[in-house]
Amino acid sequence: MEIDGNTILFIFVILYFLYSSPSGDGVTSQYEYNQLQTLRAQYNDEHSQFANMTLSENFRNITGLKLSYEDVLKSPGINATYPIAGKDYNHWSSNQGHMILPESVITEIREDVWSGKEGVFPPNITSTLHGLIKLDSNKDYQKVPMPVPEYYEPPHDFSQNFNDPYVDDGTLSNGQHNVTFNEGQVVIEIKAADTALAYSDARRPSFFNSQSDRWRMLHVNLHFSDFHDEEKHSINSRAVYDIKRGRILAISESAKFHSLFAFPHYMSLKEDDKLVFDEVKLLVEEYWNASNFVDTRTMNYLQESYAVANYKCEFLAYFQLSPWSAYSPEQLKVIDDELTWPLGRRANLSSLPPINISSGIVYSPDCGINLRVSSVSGPRYELHVRKMRDTLLFGIVLLASQIYLLLIQMQHTNTPSMVNKISYWCFSLMNSVDGSLAIIFFFMTSAIPELYLPLVICSFACLILASVFEMRYLISIYASQANEQNVSFTTLLRRNTGSEERNAPTVIPDEATISSHMYRRYILMMFLSMVLILSVATWSRRIRTPFECVAFFVLNSYWVPQIARNAIKGNEPRRRRASPGESQAPRQNKMPLLWSFVIGTSIIRFLPVAYVFTVPSNIFYHHRDIRYVVIVALWILFQIVILYSQDIMGARWFLPKYTIPEGYSYHKGISSADLLEHGSSPNYSIDCAICMNDVPVYVDDIPKTHKVDKESYMITPCSHIFHTQCLESWMSYKLQCPVCRAPLPPL
Amino acid sequence: MSGEAPAGLAQFPITRLCMLTTVILPIIASIADCKYWFLVYDDPFITEYKQYYRYVMFQIAAINETDVALITLIWYNLRHLERLFGSRKYASIIVLSWFYTTATIVLMNKLFNLNPFFRWNRLTSGSLPTVLSLFHFYKEYTPQIYEFDVRLTKPFGLRSKQLKWTFNDQFMINTLVMIMLANQGMSGLATGFLSWLCGVFIDKGLLPGSEVFRVPSFISRPGHNQGQTLVTGTESDAADVSESGAQGSVTGGDEEPSDEPARPLGVQFLDTFRM
Repeated sequence: MEIDGNTILFIFVILYFLYSSPSGDGVTSQYEYNQLQTLRAQYNDEHSQFANMTLSENFRNITGLKLSYEDVLKSPGINATYPIAGKDYNHWSSNQGHMILPESVITEIREDVWSGKEGVFPPNITSTLHGLIKLDSNKDYQKVPMPVPEYYEPPHDFSQNFNDPYVDDGTLSNGQHNVTFNEGQVVIEIKAADTALAYSDARRPSFFNSQSDRWRMLHVNLHFSDFHDEEKHSINSRAVYDIKRGRILAISESAKFHSLFAFPHYMSLKEDDKLVFDEVKLLVEEYWNASNFVDTRTMNYLQESYAVANYKCEFLAYFQLSPWSAYSPEQLKVIDDELTWPLGRRANLSSLPPINISSGIVYSPDCGINLRVSSVSGPRYELHVRKMRDTLLFGIVLLASQIYLLLIQMQHTNTPSMVNKISYWCFSLMNSVDGSLAIIFFFMTSAIPELYLPLVICSFACLILASVFEMRYLISIYASQANEQNVSFTTLLRRNTGSEERNAPTVIPDEATISSHMYRRYILMMFLSMVLILSVATWSRRIRTPFECVAFFVLNSYWVPQIARNAIKGNEPRRRRASPGESQAPRQNKMPLLWSFVIGTSIIRFLPVAYVFTVPSNIFYHHRDIRYVVIVALWILFQIVILYSQDIMGARWFLPKYTIPEGYSYHKGISSADLLEHGSSPNYSIDCAICMNDVPVYVDDIPKTHKVDKESYMITPCSHIFHTQCLESWMSYKLQCPVCRAPLPPL
Repeated sequence: MSGEAPAGLAQFPITRLCMLTTVILPIIASIADCKYWFLVYDDPFITEYKQYYRYVMFQIAAINETDVALITLIWYNLRHLERLFGSRKYASIIVLSWFYTTATIVLMNKLFNLNPFFRWNRLTSGSLPTVLSLFHFYKEYTPQIYEFDVRLTKPFGLRSKQLKWTFNDQFMINTLVMIMLANQGMSGLATGFLSWLCGVFIDKGLLPGSEVFRVPSFISRPGHNQGQTLVTGTESDAADVSESGAQGSVTGGDEEPSDEPARPLGVQFLDTFRM
């Protein structure tokens, strides 16, 4: 490339665009700058209110907490402003007069959910829990209005005047606000919030939680949906965990609900305990300082919380954990250490009970939805990762044995004639499965950083298996079958109407051409399957399950093409193969697939399917369906049985006689006219072009030659004549006539 | 007996085994997240948890990647010992060294920790003790083949004297061993010294077994490398030749007589990528 002034200018322009992305806060205009400054000022203001607050004071000007449930009951159309005339800001008690929860929910929480006593609870509850969620009511409660403050609104015109009054035209999408199903499944992801702060300023001692044996700050993500995955809700929230009593309060946060300041009041719900209030307030304060809350609010955060505020409801979730009564706090500490930093301490990890939420309420104040959660449980995150690792290790072993089996199989069919009998589509099917697996594993590496190493190894093993070994085999299969395909293919290309009969072209594409062609196809296939897999994961279960079943069924039909191929090639039954011409070199008519390969591959490919569909606690949380697995197993078994019967009784036993096409026979007599063409010698023999010795031939119309064995020489379709032994050894390298290069039908 | 060692590791099955184990085991351990199996700390693993299996495990795999690299290279340099002793005797000496060094280190560790002032808590990781014990054998039985000088004329200004270092062909393994010892700190040096003493004692017969004990013959394949002393060298060479000749004739007498040799699988794979 020639580099002149223009090129350099162009490069600079590109670099300018690349590096002039918004700075740290993500602010790109004056309007956004003002937005962000207002947001920070608002948070600072709210925080200063919060800092001076005591348990006997009501919330004042805090976004989302300006109204109580009773305010709305009294005057349903009330606006959330501050101050409201006649509202009592100087007292607090945990009832609907001050809280945004209705009285019935508060009682329910007091009496049903947070009924537990003090006990031993695991301090670290990072985990993913699965369970059931039930709708209690979605219309009995008043909705507490939570307007989004004006400064969150994006600009309305290009002039971007910040102080333009915002006109609500009522087109705000209602989003997915209501919960309409009665019963569904819930996934609760719990993460510790203090680990997320590890990257905070290193110079400052970032000591965050001074009461870590008593209180923990958590990130809790709630996902719930109906059983068919059609209506999905997902809430990201911050939570406070009371280790002594096993209570969790999670409150979502968005533009319309600055919930961080609500924790102390809403946590001291049961006993109006000043101690709880003060401790939680200290926790929030420490969290505020450690996370540098105001300065870390970026434009991205602002826009995201605005979006979330518009299409989601706010939720408060009260959960009660089941205690781990069998353990002492010291044992829990050892277990915790062992889980985070395994050294082989004396912690009996295999008998560790799951994290279990015995009861819980999820209530949305601004949508008036009340949900009940029961018996949600799951293993500690580290244990789950451990289980996944073990599964992956087993997968690696399976992949390694598959590679080994494939190599044996390739050694077994080392001549073009043998490879010719293998079905291209049989291996193509396996190849597409392995290629897709490689992609799935590769995607998972970014999702689960703890399992990076085993996942990369899995992905690499799949890739090696698919794109090196199987592709190599596919290429040689394709090459050996090229002369069969070429006929129709070229006729098609030349638009031949069939008037002139054309023989197969004599040029067979060489392996390099074939391989580049195949790799192109392979990469395209991988790309398409990646898109397909990614989209299938988001489908609702009603569509996904049948798709999965059909896909697994088709992908497990890999022996079907081979059965068809066997029938086309018409392998001899075993007992006829057992007695070849005694003195001759071994003929190449064994079964193309090794039995160890067939059975090993079937087992290797069936095991993962069986695991996913039968083990209830499988790592993919896939539903259980034993009937389907049995069907797949029987189907694979059926294919193997058919393959075996073809081995025993001949490949075409199930076809009626008249459907069987006549194969080309190399061993036949010739006419005297043909003999003349070959330049006959006085003893009716012809020179073999390979060994340059005489080949005595059987001439049909000369009885003198009828004592010649027809099996001792071979006539090619291009009517060249060789010794059987000479041509067969040649045909183990190439299926082309040694004289004229015309393709030869394989043996 | 020529000074040149045969190329490759085909003639050194035990060396190959040791090198492969040294490399592959840590990789598997880190995939399976069980590297900590190969750690030994007196406190808490032994005194508190009583996990005595760690004494057996700790020499099998090194935890630190540098140690893995160093130990692998040292095993490679020690291959001359296998050539000298023969595979079976070499394997026996390795097993003996492993046993005696482990016992000595554990014993000394316990004795040392009786003193109230210092604690020797961390044991070395990897097969450092075994290797150091074998290092004595290497020094004792491997002849020096050449040496060379490195001279620096006046390295520190005009008034300094000429510096001269003499190296021999073993300087590579010497350096590697020194780095390995230094890499594991005080405990590495102490363990190294103890292990080297073990090597001396095994050689001199103070620790019994070097003449009597042999690993079962199926571990090291008989007839593969019987050791080449001056007397038997020619014989075993001849045996090797006849063996390989026999193999050649076996492969040559394959079922199909042909002029074009069958392409091995490896060649076929490479051909695939030749566009």
